Amino acid sequence: MIRIENLKKAFGKVTVLDGIDLSIEPGEVVSILGSSGSGKSTLIRCINGLERIDAGRITVDDFDVSNPKELAEARKRSGTVFQLFNLYPHLSALRNVTLAPVEVLKRNAAEAEKEGRALLESVGLGDRADAYPAQLSGGQRQRVGICRALAMKPRYLLLDEVTSALDPEMTAEVLEILADLTGRGTTMIFVTHEVAFARSISDRIVFLDQGRLLVDLPCETFFAEDGGMANARVAQFLSKMRKD
Amino acid sequence: MRAGRSIALTTARDAVETEIGFTRTVAGLNLIVSDLAPHIALLAQGALLTVEVCVLALAGAVVVGAAIAMMRASGSRLLRGIATVYVDIFRNIPFLVQLFFFYYGLPELGIYVDAFATGVLALSIAGGAFASDVIRSGILAIDPGIVEAAQVYGLSRRTTFLKIVMPIALRLSVRPLGSVLINLILTSSILSTITLNELTGSAKIVASQTFRPFEVYAVLLLAYASLTYLLSIAIARFHRRLNRGVLEAV
Repeated sequence: MIRIENLKKAFGKVTVLDGIDLSIEPGEVVSILGSSGSGKSTLIRCINGLERIDAGRITVDDFDVSNPKELAEARKRSGTVFQLFNLYPHLSALRNVTLAPVEVLKRNAAEAEKEGRALLESVGLGDRADAYPAQLSGGQRQRVGICRALAMKPRYLLLDEVTSALDPEMTAEVLEILADLTGRGTTMIFVTHEVAFARSISDRIVFLDQGRLLVDLPCETFFAEDGGMANARVAQFLSKMRKD
Repeated sequence: MRAGRSIALTTARDAVETEIGFTRTVAGLNLIVSDLAPHIALLAQGALLTVEVCVLALAGAVVVGAAIAMMRASGSRLLRGIATVYVDIFRNIPFLVQLFFFYYGLPELGIYVDAFATGVLALSIAGGAFASDVIRSGILAIDPGIVEAAQVYGLSRRTTFLKIVMPIALRLSVRPLGSVLINLILTSSILSTITLNELTGSAKIVASQTFRPFEVYAVLLLAYASLTYLLSIAIARFHRRLNRGVLEAV
C-alpha cells in the first residue's frame, strides 16, 4: 500500500502540495486529475523520492521514502514512466529495459535479456529491441519506457503524464498498452490529462487543485452529477477538458 | 627561366631577383629529393617518436581529463576543490614552464625522469586539464531526466555515473576533445626543448647539418599538418560511429 499523510512541498515560496492525504491499495488504478500546476507531477515525484518532502510522510509498503535507507526498498516496489520518456540514449531499447534488473536486482544477464525481449514483444516492439531511442518514434519510446518500468516487476506503476508528449495516434498506442495492464491487475497511479481514458480504466479519481486534494471518489461517482461534478471546481475543469 | 620571361614588364632588377628566388626553390626541391635523403631516416625516427609520445599522451590526457571531470562532479567538497585547483594551475601556466619545471626542476629534489616519460606525463597532465573541462561540459549537458530515471530505478550513484553519465558525456565530448588532442600534437613540438628528438627536434638537427632551414622546416610543416589532419578525420569518423543512432542528428 502507498500511504501519503499530510504531505507538504514547496519550491521556494511557492507551495505546490499543501497537506495531501491519500492511500492506494494494491490492485487499484487511481487517476490523478487537475489543471497544470495543481501539483500532480510533484506528487508522483515525491512518491518516487525525486523530490524531498517538506512535511508529512510517504510510505510504500511501509518503507518511508524520506529515509535514505528505506528509499531504495521503496523504489524497488514502484516503477516510474516519465512524460518525456527519459530513456538512456546510448543504450538500445533492450538494454534500457534490462539495465536495472541486472544492476539493481542482480539478475542473470541472459535471463533478463530474455524477459526484456518478451516484454518488448508484448508491446509490439519485438523487432526494435536493438534500436536506439533516437531511432524510435515517440510512441515507441514510451512503450520502451513502460517496459523498462515493468522489467523491475514493480507492485506500483507511477505514470507521469505519459502521453502528454505524444500525438493522438501515438497516444492511442500507449493507452492501449496501459488498458491491457489494468486488465492484469497492475496497481497504477496515473497522472493524466486524458479524462476519457482515465474514466475508462480507473477505480478511483483524485482531483488536485492548487496543491490540495479536492476530491477523492470512486470513478463512477466522480463523473456523476451529484458526485464529483457537484464540486464547482471539478465541474469547471471537466467542462473545459471536454471543450478541448 | 620561363619565370623570368613571364615577368618581362617588371624592371630588370626585379626579374633577376625573381629568378634567383625561383632557382633557389628549385634547388630546394632538388635538395629534398637528393640531399635530404640521407636524413630521411632521422626525420622518420623523429616522426615515429612524436607519434609514440602523442598516442600515449592522448590516452593519458583523456584518462586524466575523465578522472578530473568525475572529481569535479563528485559530492565530496574536497575532491571538487582538488580538481578545480588542478585545472586552474595547469591551464594557467605556459606548457614550456611546466615542462622545464618537471625536467630541469625536479632533479634538484632527486626526482629523475627521462625526457620521453617527462614529455608524455607533462602532456597528459596539461592536456588532461583541458580535456576535463570538455568532459565536464559534456556531463553538464546531460538531460537531468535521464539521471532521474536511473535514480528511480535504483541504480547506485556509482553505476549511474559509470554506465549512464560518463558514456553519454564522452559521446558528447568526442568532437571538442578532438581539438584538445590536436593541440596536444602541436604542443608536443615543445618537447624538443628537453632534448627529446621528436619530429621538431630531429628537424632542427637536419636543418643545422644541411644548412637548409627553409626546406627542412617546410617538410616539418607538412608533417604536422598531415598528422593533425589525419587525427581530425579519425575523430570525425569516431564521433559518427559512436553516435550512430544515439544523437538525434549527427
